[in-house]
Amino acid sequence: MDKLLEIARKSCDQVELYSFDETVNIIQFENSRLKDVDSKVQSGISLRVIKDNKLGFAYTKNLINRDELLQNALNALKGKVEAKFNFPLTRNFPKLKTYDSGIEKISNIDLVEECNRVSAILSSKTKGQVNTVAVSSINGLGIMNSTGTNLSLKTSEYSIFITVLYPNSYAAICRLLSFKRFEKTPDDSLQSIIDLYNQSEKEVRPKSGRMKVLFMPEIMHVLMWRLQSAASGIAIYQKQSPLLEKIDDKIFDDKLTIANNPLDDKIPGARPFDDEAFPCSYFPIIENGVLRNFYYDLNYAEKINTKPTGHGFRSARWASETIALKPTPSLEHLYIQPGESPFSELLKQIDKGIIIAGALGAHSGNIPNGDFSIGLSPGLYVENGEIVGRVKDAMVAGNIYDTMKDVVAIEDSTHQAGGGIFPSILFDNVSVVT
Amino acid sequence: MFGKLKSILSKVDAEYSDIRYEIKGEVRISFSGKELTQVSSNSTDGFVLRILKNGGASSVAFTKENDVEKAIRSAEENAILISKNIEAPVKFARSEIIKYNYLPKLEVDPRHISFDEKLELTRQYNNIPLTQEKIVTTNISYLEVIREKFFLNTEGSEIHEDLITTKINGLITSKDGTLTQNVRVGIGGSNGFAVLRNREEEFEKKTDIVLQLLKAKSVKGGEYNVILNQSMAGVFIHEAFGHFSEADLIENNPSMRQRMEIGAKSGNDILNIIDDPTMPNQLGFYKYDDEGVKAKPTQLMKNGVLVGRLHSRRTAVGFGEQLNGHCVAEDYRYAPIIRMGTIFIQPGKDSLVELLAKLDNGLYILDGKGGQTSGENFTFGAQYGYIVKSGKINDMVRDINISGNLYTTLKNIDTVGNDLKLSETGGCGKGQMNIRSCHGAPHVLIKKVVIGGV
Repeated sequence: MDKLLEIARKSCDQVELYSFDETVNIIQFENSRLKDVDSKVQSGISLRVIKDNKLGFAYTKNLINRDELLQNALNALKGKVEAKFNFPLTRNFPKLKTYDSGIEKISNIDLVEECNRVSAILSSKTKGQVNTVAVSSINGLGIMNSTGTNLSLKTSEYSIFITVLYPNSYAAICRLLSFKRFEKTPDDSLQSIIDLYNQSEKEVRPKSGRMKVLFMPEIMHVLMWRLQSAASGIAIYQKQSPLLEKIDDKIFDDKLTIANNPLDDKIPGARPFDDEAFPCSYFPIIENGVLRNFYYDLNYAEKINTKPTGHGFRSARWASETIALKPTPSLEHLYIQPGESPFSELLKQIDKGIIIAGALGAHSGNIPNGDFSIGLSPGLYVENGEIVGRVKDAMVAGNIYDTMKDVVAIEDSTHQAGGGIFPSILFDNVSVVT
Repeated sequence: MFGKLKSILSKVDAEYSDIRYEIKGEVRISFSGKELTQVSSNSTDGFVLRILKNGGASSVAFTKENDVEKAIRSAEENAILISKNIEAPVKFARSEIIKYNYLPKLEVDPRHISFDEKLELTRQYNNIPLTQEKIVTTNISYLEVIREKFFLNTEGSEIHEDLITTKINGLITSKDGTLTQNVRVGIGGSNGFAVLRNREEEFEKKTDIVLQLLKAKSVKGGEYNVILNQSMAGVFIHEAFGHFSEADLIENNPSMRQRMEIGAKSGNDILNIIDDPTMPNQLGFYKYDDEGVKAKPTQLMKNGVLVGRLHSRRTAVGFGEQLNGHCVAEDYRYAPIIRMGTIFIQPGKDSLVELLAKLDNGLYILDGKGGQTSGENFTFGAQYGYIVKSGKINDMVRDINISGNLYTTLKNIDTVGNDLKLSETGGCGKGQMNIRSCHGAPHVLIKKVVIGGV
């Protein structure tokens, strides 16, 4: 790899070499029984070169021929993709504990045992079908560039994704828990799933209308994807963001504080530097309802003539090969500050409303505009502070720039979910069509 | 290559094993507005090993040949672990032994087209919307994916098949004040570069629509009778029905399995649905799946009655039904799973004009924009639509998202049109992205559909 950097340096102004490897074990249980145990052992390299302010990009899985990889990158220069930014020299960055050697002490046998244990508890206390997926992984990441930056990071993760399905459907109460090493699924997490499921067994069909709607942490991505789209350096540069010129404006309810926090190493996936080796930081997007920042990678920061913010990540909505993706502005570690109300209190405040426990179609709709329109799978109907049943065949729709101005209350604790750590949030005046 | 694969399989201690090695070449040219943001041409590779040992099945996807011993051990241990934890041994249905070298017939091999020509064609199409004042940006890419697959199993099958996919697709975004609208545009296929040439009309049409959307009204949420155009109806049948024809999704779900019993009358009499990857010159074409099984046209519904489903070698045994070669993987990072190949509603007799007359009052909804299913409920987005009054198309509406219930909506399909069209760019994400997942339909009239307006 050093050799590759050296050779590339001779024909280019700047070079960056990104390498990635992972070992993953996946255990799948369906209907409380073991279905599959599969593994992956993957690796790859991605090369970016800059010459005369133009970018060349190439990647490969097996580095059989160094010269071929370099040649692919040099050929790509012909495309004249502009790149006026500089790869950073990074020597100082936060020291985070992203790898827990405890991950090496467990085997697939232990994961099967845990899935058996969780399935047994949930199937004894509910009538729903229980499916679980347990994943353990060890990843390595390395970034070298021509300024002398040479960073590496090892991460470990164990996660369990639990679903309890309603009959004749894949609508379910779901929970995702992840840790840096194996840990037993806490009893209170299981109890919360059991309670929500049992209280919502009956099917109900409330009338359409505007009402209180509670977004559970598992559903928060519906709203976050829209905020991420609008606050991204790309949307700012292309002038298509509804948030243009709105820095320091109050755009949401003042109970909302939303930040990107890659430095939280209590949970897996923490990052001291981004995929371009730029140091990461606690980064507020919304503070008490006020828009504070847009986020950039090296490229878009340069295009807007502003400082990079350490948000250059190789990510895509539909999981792709990391090495095949170029870094783009991404928020990978969202955090919504908890509020003051335990979940039971949030419930009590719902005279008539829906808890969204499953959503369909978050990826559809006019995301750049902030619109959302999702099918419920399921929704839990609440009357006078009590869950009376579940709603299917219904949709919840709105625009985040309206909905997020009307926060009734926020849960006093946060939970892991796709995309970040979130509390449950109760909004008012959201449109429900049944 | 087969020599190398044979030597890998010879190291495996199992009753059955197969290995797939793939070389995946990808060319990508991306525009964001007028700017070129990516140009790349790369080749990647990897192996996927599957084994059946002591009645347990496991797979391992590995990159480096040097990791082969580690990978084999992992798969063997996992298979044994499974065998100790399941009630009945996993069995694979008997499959023909195939020795075949299949290269698709192409109308212009994209590998023979110069990079400059690909760049200029993409730039030309990308410029069509950009000449219009209220178009704020585009995100349009050329993508060419070439997978050379080599499959070998211990039963004696040896298959080399290439899959070549080309497309130019993306988003066009319009803006007026604070309102933005976008539409998807896409052309492409599985038979080479020719399908991408002379397609200006498609980009002109979509540019026109996204500009009109700025003046359209938001659709009012509620229950409507609707006509879906071919693209929309294709997404509908994929989400509402197609996924639950995938045997692996319902294999271990007794309540869904009961609902999807062969012989169940789940749809209206006029509804006929088939999945046929063997049709030539369409996106979803393939000859052999990633278990070495020949793809077969598979009737899923006939006159509203469930008559078939999509299988792998494992589920064919589990259900006691016929193999039909529907088990494919996205690439060398994954073991294959059951996927739709080319699913469509078979055409009926009515023209669009006749459907509009039958509809009388309702909505005409066009061009799918992503969907999702929970089995019972499905939801999908539409790019644009029109209010229909007394059988005539009226004002344009926007922000349309549709929700339905599998068990009722299929019965509410009132009339099926005669104008079948298949998607050129398709796509399906079921844990792995299948870029060749094709869907289609004629125009269809459906009653009582829930539309979630904003």
